[in-house]
Amino acid sequence: MIFENGKEIPLWNGEPVLSHGNQEGIDIPTITPYFPPVWNALGKAIVIYPGGAYSHLAEHEGRGYAEYFAARGFHCFVVKYRLGADKKYFHPVELADAARGVRLVRSAAKELGIRPDCIGVMGSSAGGHLAATVSNMHGQALKSPDEGEAANVSSRPDFAVLCYPVISADPAIANKGSFRNLLGLAEFDEAKSRALSQELLVSEQTPPTFLWHTMQDAGVLCENSLVYAEALRKAGVGFELHIYEKGPHGQGLFRGHPWAEECVRWLNCF
Amino acid sequence: MDLKDRTAVQLWCGTPPAGESDPEQIPVITPYAPPVWKKNHRALVIFPGGGYTALAQYEGYGFAEYFCEQGYYCFVVNYRLGKDLGKGGCHYPAQLSDAARAVRLVRSWADELGYRTDKIGVIGSSAGGHLAASVSILPQLGLILPEEGDVAKISSRPDFTILCYPVITLGKYTHQGTRMNLLGEHFDPADEKRLSLENSINEKTPPAFLYHRLGDTAVPCENSIMYARALRKHGIPFELHIYEKGNHGGALAQGHPWVAEALRWIETL
Repeated sequence: MIFENGKEIPLWNGEPVLSHGNQEGIDIPTITPYFPPVWNALGKAIVIYPGGAYSHLAEHEGRGYAEYFAARGFHCFVVKYRLGADKKYFHPVELADAARGVRLVRSAAKELGIRPDCIGVMGSSAGGHLAATVSNMHGQALKSPDEGEAANVSSRPDFAVLCYPVISADPAIANKGSFRNLLGLAEFDEAKSRALSQELLVSEQTPPTFLWHTMQDAGVLCENSLVYAEALRKAGVGFELHIYEKGPHGQGLFRGHPWAEECVRWLNCF
Repeated sequence: MDLKDRTAVQLWCGTPPAGESDPEQIPVITPYAPPVWKKNHRALVIFPGGGYTALAQYEGYGFAEYFCEQGYYCFVVNYRLGKDLGKGGCHYPAQLSDAARAVRLVRSWADELGYRTDKIGVIGSSAGGHLAASVSILPQLGLILPEEGDVAKISSRPDFTILCYPVITLGKYTHQGTRMNLLGEHFDPADEKRLSLENSINEKTPPAFLYHRLGDTAVPCENSIMYARALRKHGIPFELHIYEKGNHGGALAQGHPWVAEALRWIETL
């Protein structure tokens, strides 16, 4: 068993794909499990991608979520994926790390007592963009030759929870900084970013999705969640959309905000 | 007016306006007082749904029973209805006039009954949602009776709007029965466009809480999305909650989370 509760381990066996260094923290992505109590284990897993505009990682959207949802019965795994901007890991590295997280958890499902068909992703802000990317593009994610059994397992999430996510490259609503950081661009480029505009990549294969956002979010406009929901609707994919009125960007669990309970309710229906 | 709790009284002090097509229909309003130790000085004017041809009282008296326990002074409006898909009954602007009159009347009772004149909201489900939204957006188009006296001068604009799986548009995503019963057989296309409420939202429209279910096959959730987008365009605060499971109707729906979300939102306005 590779996973030990609370212990951070490297995400990849051997060298991560597309690596250009071996410095801890920058070149070595990791995964950290948070197990539920044995008397409240639901057999469901959430792979969590913290936000940070693809230039840093916000702990309250990683470990913060993991501790909360683990207490409510979910096996949680925080993936510290590699970053763009000055860390210089650009797309498709993030997708590779994110998909590897899903594969790794699924390959260990039996040992952990998790249903292999109940492994989802959760991401906030740019981490939400990453969760949507792995939802829609998991088939394209790069694998390493050292993966062993995990190479044969699907990276498709069974559900996705997107928290105030970056979604669209439409310049009217895009969070341009995240796209610049992800693609390694000095200036936002709509044409280049369009390939990762997630509302354009939704299909009937996209997993059921829970979206929440605040209307007052000035960092990532709530239109991002709206356009993704509209795309899911057109594709006939199940979803929930909760746009709350009050609150700025990036609040995570937000001191007992009702979004988290709505999310647990929705997750319990799987 | 002599109000007795949970007793219906006539909405109008004479023959209701725009009622020539069906003079037998007498619209009424029924107050539900909150317990004195819980009253929160807010009022809810409740419009049950029913396709503008019936009144689904689990969205009327049912809501009133529940929300008055939460501290709200509630008023259920049995507004006038169309019949036979618009061939009979009463049509626009009869129900809008009833709705606007109800808000005016409720506001006129504020001091006597003990709630604030600036905390009067409307709540409507399905076609009742269309009506609640109409009185939120177009109250000035409701007809007034000269006998109203000073009450006619009171504002009929609600302070907030709660819409439960509402009909909003009379266009592509509408509920046909609702549309036909509201408009009647002979209507002005300009009215139809105006009553497709996504076209009429303006800066004076009150903040709104909307909820809908994705699986609603009677009234598509696009109705709620259109309303939210129009509010967004005019910078008006809102919440939008689209739940995945379940179909149309349901009212309080056995402790569905929408109720707690709505109460939280109203309380933080």
